[in-house]
Amino acid sequence: MNLPSVQFTKEQEEFRVEVRTFLQRELQKGTFQTKCDSWLSGSDPAFSKLIAEQGWIGLTWPKEYGGAERSSIDRYILTEEFLAIGAPVAAHWFADRQTGPLLLRFGTEFQKKLFLPKIVKGECFFAIGLSEPNSGSDLASVRTKAEKVEGGWIVNGAKTWTSNAQDAHFMITLVRTEPVSEKKHHGLSQLIVDLKSEGVTIAPIRYLTGEHHFNDVFFDNVFVADDMVVGAIGNGWAQGLAELAFERSGPERILSTFPLLNETIEELKRRQDINGLAHAAKLVAELWSLRNLSIGVAKVLEEGGEVGVPAALVKSVGTKFEQKIPEVVRMLLDVYPHLQAERDLDRFLAESTLHAPGFTIRGGTSEVLYGIIAKGVLAR
Amino acid sequence: MSEMKDMIAGVVERIFKEKVEKETVDLLETGKWGEEVWQLLVENEIEKVAIKEGHGGAGGDYEDLFHLYRLVGKYAVPIPFVEHTLANLVLEYVNSQPQSGLSTIHIATQPLELIKGKVTGQLQHVPWARYAEKIVTLATEQGKNSLIIIDLEEATIENSTNLAAEPRDHLRFTDANILLNHLLTEQQHEFLTQLQTAATVSKMVGAIDRAFELTLQFSKEREQFGRPIHRFQLVQQHLAILAGEQALSSSALDNIIALLVEGQVKDEIAFARLKLDDASRIVATSAHQVHAAIGVTHEHRLHHYTRRLWAWRDEDFHGNYWRKQLADKLLHSTNTIWEDLTKS
Repeated sequence: MNLPSVQFTKEQEEFRVEVRTFLQRELQKGTFQTKCDSWLSGSDPAFSKLIAEQGWIGLTWPKEYGGAERSSIDRYILTEEFLAIGAPVAAHWFADRQTGPLLLRFGTEFQKKLFLPKIVKGECFFAIGLSEPNSGSDLASVRTKAEKVEGGWIVNGAKTWTSNAQDAHFMITLVRTEPVSEKKHHGLSQLIVDLKSEGVTIAPIRYLTGEHHFNDVFFDNVFVADDMVVGAIGNGWAQGLAELAFERSGPERILSTFPLLNETIEELKRRQDINGLAHAAKLVAELWSLRNLSIGVAKVLEEGGEVGVPAALVKSVGTKFEQKIPEVVRMLLDVYPHLQAERDLDRFLAESTLHAPGFTIRGGTSEVLYGIIAKGVLAR
Repeated sequence: MSEMKDMIAGVVERIFKEKVEKETVDLLETGKWGEEVWQLLVENEIEKVAIKEGHGGAGGDYEDLFHLYRLVGKYAVPIPFVEHTLANLVLEYVNSQPQSGLSTIHIATQPLELIKGKVTGQLQHVPWARYAEKIVTLATEQGKNSLIIIDLEEATIENSTNLAAEPRDHLRFTDANILLNHLLTEQQHEFLTQLQTAATVSKMVGAIDRAFELTLQFSKEREQFGRPIHRFQLVQQHLAILAGEQALSSSALDNIIALLVEGQVKDEIAFARLKLDDASRIVATSAHQVHAAIGVTHEHRLHHYTRRLWAWRDEDFHGNYWRKQLADKLLHSTNTIWEDLTKS
């Protein structure tokens, strides 16, 4: 598999510095605190609003919808900087990463005009409703159904593991609009559900740390108007697949525990521990090689190429790397992991350790990804 | 690569495909080498690819040459192509004439001692020395490194091999004459270590390409329990892991080549070499596991690639060397690793 090797331009490097300078200033002001896995577990609507004010939500989208029409490499840089400093960007994450591109590709003019400018302003957050109590990796088996009525659809069923639904205004919901047939992938559609609608109940599922970012979302005769159908009825599976490449190859599959690696190296430097640094250098090399691949995928995506397999590959290898960092760190330094620890190192280690199991599950388990990759390379 | 260069790569791959049979690679085990393949390359002037036109070469660049090195790894070609061309590349780099006879290069270990224009000392594990006329290596005089050439007529050679049966000979010199004495700046010396490392990385990536290819092929052909083994999920997991390491290795190589061409290399060569250390281990493990018993026989050609990976990962500027270099750099750096990685 060969992906392009990307060197950043001078303008792109300047943009990186601009973002970094801003984030460092906000960090020093105490606007946020660096955390590991902050892109998923750090939901802070006020911070998202601040990011929107910089023009950094919907960076690549057309200007007519409030975007900045910048390249996806610029967006890649922006995202990397959020992750490297562990900023709480979870509230607007899905709308920016997935919903915007989805609507731009499949949405109606009405939907684009209605949602995109609000997303860009940091006033409208989306959740993604995919998994169900009995549909995890076997996503095509979803049962939440939508039945046609006058002027719209009536939705019944339940979604689960929905990240940050508690802060979201809407949810792109994968539903069955035809009964299950031989072909499970047929008859699925994507609806935009207003989470304030009558009949929607959101209940927290607390993560093993006790934190709230997962939810159950129940639908009891929820009405969704016809103009809230995304793309074509029955085309939900194909539309959803198109989103996955964006979801799987990004820097968030490599950098979730980066603040811990960074702090470890700083601590080893303070201790003048040359042997420890030699071990840590291996992790830096691994990060470098993963980053090349991930940026390569971003480049192909930008050019409209097919990246299903390499994206699955980035996620499966990258998330393993994220999981490995805390395990290596505790071999190199004396630590005491604690979520409320005063020392950053101990806190980052606690966050990384406790969040690590999710890395290789969310967004497609490694086992599912291995199958996709193997079939992809066997078919060549 | 330009079309012209693509053509060269195409010609070379065709030669390797046709001429480098399993038996050709096995020649090494009997103390012979791929002389016929070497002659073919010389007839086609392939060994002059990266030599400047003014020196009678084809005027290619690093990208062309390292791509050919990758092919040498991919076909386990039993000739000193990498060593000979790298020796000449290094000579050109210090504005010296490339050598016409077969040369080898050895710059990774303790340099020889230079006293009054003559060298004395030993070099261990020198690639292909027994077949070469000259060696390009380092000598030190009063703490300063020079690039030197020695005629191997002046050496006592003890034959030895690496894990893959490639010639790695021990040389002894006593008051040997030198044919070149070029004082190296520290920067030049560092660049030579980078070139040598990039060459080894290229070979390793080629061997990984092939080990992956062989494993994919085998998983389609081999049937157990009434179906090809690639249908089993646990085998698929190996294939996915191999695909991942191949892609990471390949992109690491492309990246350092792009940086070398632009003259922008910093720590990336070290990163790539360290990544290839890991990739070699993972690829050799999974490739053998999928091949099962047949893969550990001499009969099967998988060992041409896995043995080379195991040998090459510990040769010249190896992972351990670069780990220490990086650690030293980190220790004295006021930048964070993020600033270094992003060069911003």
